[in-house]
Amino acid sequence: MNDLKDGIAVVTGAGGGLGRALAVTLSRTMPVAGFGRDMAALQETRASAEPGRFHPVVVDVSDFNSVAQGFDVVRTISHVTLLVNNAAIYPRRDFTEETAESFMAVVGTNLGGTVACTRAALDDMVKTGFGRILNVATFADIAPLPASSAYSVSKGAARIFTRALIADIGDRFPGIVVNDWMPGMLATRMGIADGLAPGEAATWGAQLALWHDVSLTGTTWEMDREIPPPRSLKRRIGDRVLMKPKPQARRL
Amino acid sequence: MIANSFADIEDTRWDAIIIGTGIGGGVAGRALAEAGMKVLFVEKGRAGFRAEETPLDPGLIDPVAREVRGFWPDRIRANVNGTEQEVFAPLGAGIGGSSVFYAATLERPERHDLDEVPGRPHPTGGWPVAFDEMLPWFDAAQRLFHIHGESDPLCDTPSPELAPPHPPSSGDARIMDVLRRNGLHPYLLHSALRRLPGCRDCLGHKCPMPCKMDGRSAGVEPALATGNAARLTGCTVTRLIRQADGGVTVEARLAGETRAIWARHVVLAAGALNSPRLLMASRSAADPDGIGNGAGLVGRNLMFHLNEIFALWPGKAAGFAGPTKSVGFRDLYFADGQRLGMVQAMGVDVGYGEIVHHLRGRVGRSWLRHVPGARDATRIPAAIGAKLMGTAKVFVGLLEDLPYAENRVLPEDAGIALDYRTAPELLARRKAFRRHIRRAFRGTRTAFLTQEPEPNFGHPCGTLRMGVDVGKSVVNSAGRVHGVTNLWVTDASVFPTSMGVNPSLTIAANALRVAAEIRRAR
Repeated sequence: MNDLKDGIAVVTGAGGGLGRALAVTLSRTMPVAGFGRDMAALQETRASAEPGRFHPVVVDVSDFNSVAQGFDVVRTISHVTLLVNNAAIYPRRDFTEETAESFMAVVGTNLGGTVACTRAALDDMVKTGFGRILNVATFADIAPLPASSAYSVSKGAARIFTRALIADIGDRFPGIVVNDWMPGMLATRMGIADGLAPGEAATWGAQLALWHDVSLTGTTWEMDREIPPPRSLKRRIGDRVLMKPKPQARRL
Repeated sequence: MIANSFADIEDTRWDAIIIGTGIGGGVAGRALAEAGMKVLFVEKGRAGFRAEETPLDPGLIDPVAREVRGFWPDRIRANVNGTEQEVFAPLGAGIGGSSVFYAATLERPERHDLDEVPGRPHPTGGWPVAFDEMLPWFDAAQRLFHIHGESDPLCDTPSPELAPPHPPSSGDARIMDVLRRNGLHPYLLHSALRRLPGCRDCLGHKCPMPCKMDGRSAGVEPALATGNAARLTGCTVTRLIRQADGGVTVEARLAGETRAIWARHVVLAAGALNSPRLLMASRSAADPDGIGNGAGLVGRNLMFHLNEIFALWPGKAAGFAGPTKSVGFRDLYFADGQRLGMVQAMGVDVGYGEIVHHLRGRVGRSWLRHVPGARDATRIPAAIGAKLMGTAKVFVGLLEDLPYAENRVLPEDAGIALDYRTAPELLARRKAFRRHIRRAFRGTRTAFLTQEPEPNFGHPCGTLRMGVDVGKSVVNSAGRVHGVTNLWVTDASVFPTSMGVNPSLTIAANALRVAAEIRRAR
């Protein structure tokens, strides 16, 4: 197997915002199962998607049983070749107003949902050694903003999860391509009013998700361009001494 | 059948239990299953996923991570010339054993590797099975492994089962021109890659398709397809138990439970480092030093090839990107009345990672190991080396090793431990080999990457020597352990000498031959 289009894509958080835009864009290329908590919202997504290509599946990604049942439904349609971990929540709360429960509920969706969906999707991908996982990520963990502790921690942990997953499967399954994508500041419920239209960002996200290239594994992309890993001063000098070409960031 | 527990296998009367699923076990089990016998493969490693493309990684040290990937989980303790080292050997533990990682080069040995030939005396007086007796089995093994390649232009024994070579890469074709200009007789190596559509050239890593033929794809899988075989993974054989009738049964551990498994025949194919350990661990009142060890020879006569790795710069005109993979020659196989060995392309590029690993190994074996930071300092010469090596093609000469009783696998229950010394005559032949290699490439820039003698821990053999004389060998010429009615060995342990070629084809051929003996003994 070597074509993502031979299977089905799963997009989480497909009932609105960026997830909806990604699902709609991807549906022009391949069948898409959209996960979300609200059937009415998923039906709206279906209305704008390619006719017959979007399959709404009611799933709460923070609930492991719900995720397992959702993937069972998807597998009746086709096997999963592409997973876009997009679902996330971003409640603004000062930490003194969080409870441990409210904090961990955010972690349960943002990290737990990614872990649960990835684990389930891998059941199909390890059988063929082929697949694509795109994690929608943020830089929120680098300099956490006030009133964003649970979001920053959970999204930061999700980025660590991407690297840990690659440590476990990268050498064994080079055909399962995994990386992080930062969509930029969007004009969605989670984003800012004067941000980018989600449809515009989704064009990049879908293009990146449909790009199956082994060399993408482990890379980080922001909007439409690759962010090369930071190099230490020592490294930069070393590379200069050895006349290594400067790493070129790719663009979509 | 894929068995998951002892309960899955207890209702079958097994004709044969195969211990280990590398080439020796896989091929023997396949031959027996195809002949209608009920065969149970017992494998210590995990089943893994068929689609994996895992490369063997000596830098990975976590035992669980190694086990998951089908690597031998633990370091081996090797005392080499009096220096104790703990290293990860290039050994597999999983369906297919080490062979799933190999470069799939299955070369037929020369007549003098097995026979005493005029002008070429054999160090053991010759194998108990003559080259001509082995020939039909070499042919059968070449057929089974879909071997493609060119006949060695220096060899006059035909290889009727050798399929025409896959077309060489343009780089390989050019390197052959360079070799021919130096008066050598290169040929396209005998490869077990079928080159099915989507072939990924799986040299050094697991093949996700039935394209690279190995202990799994040419052994266990076709055996299971007959419906006569089952495999049990994660199952460690702890010892063999001597029965009143002179045979043995198998004691094995799976998920914390230990059980005896009975079968008419037991085929030992755990590899030349583990098969002797299992026999030595099977001590009892009847066999005080272990099973088959009446003559005290179990584990002895351990041999490795010495790898002479060298880089060759073919010059600007012949320069090309990418490694050369499929070229070898036998001009130096036997020279100056001495057994040397064949030379072949390594099939890998020399990059930064390989050089760091290589240099660290050298530092670890030298006095520099006591210097703090010396291991990390290897990064600098490695980086410079990688730059220089850019266009180098890397070859390896496999120098034959000869049997010495004091070179041996130790009776150590905790893990693989061995004592090995490079004999003075081996060092003398090594010097001659290197001199011949240098001379063969006169006019072309070459550099040896190996300085100290480097035993190839991936090519162990000889530890259960096959022979006619009960006092001088462990198994008889049929491959059965002396004094045990139902115990057979089909891995490289039985090799009386290490030969000047990769061991795989001979392991496969001998496993087919021993399987025929087992069928006759039914």
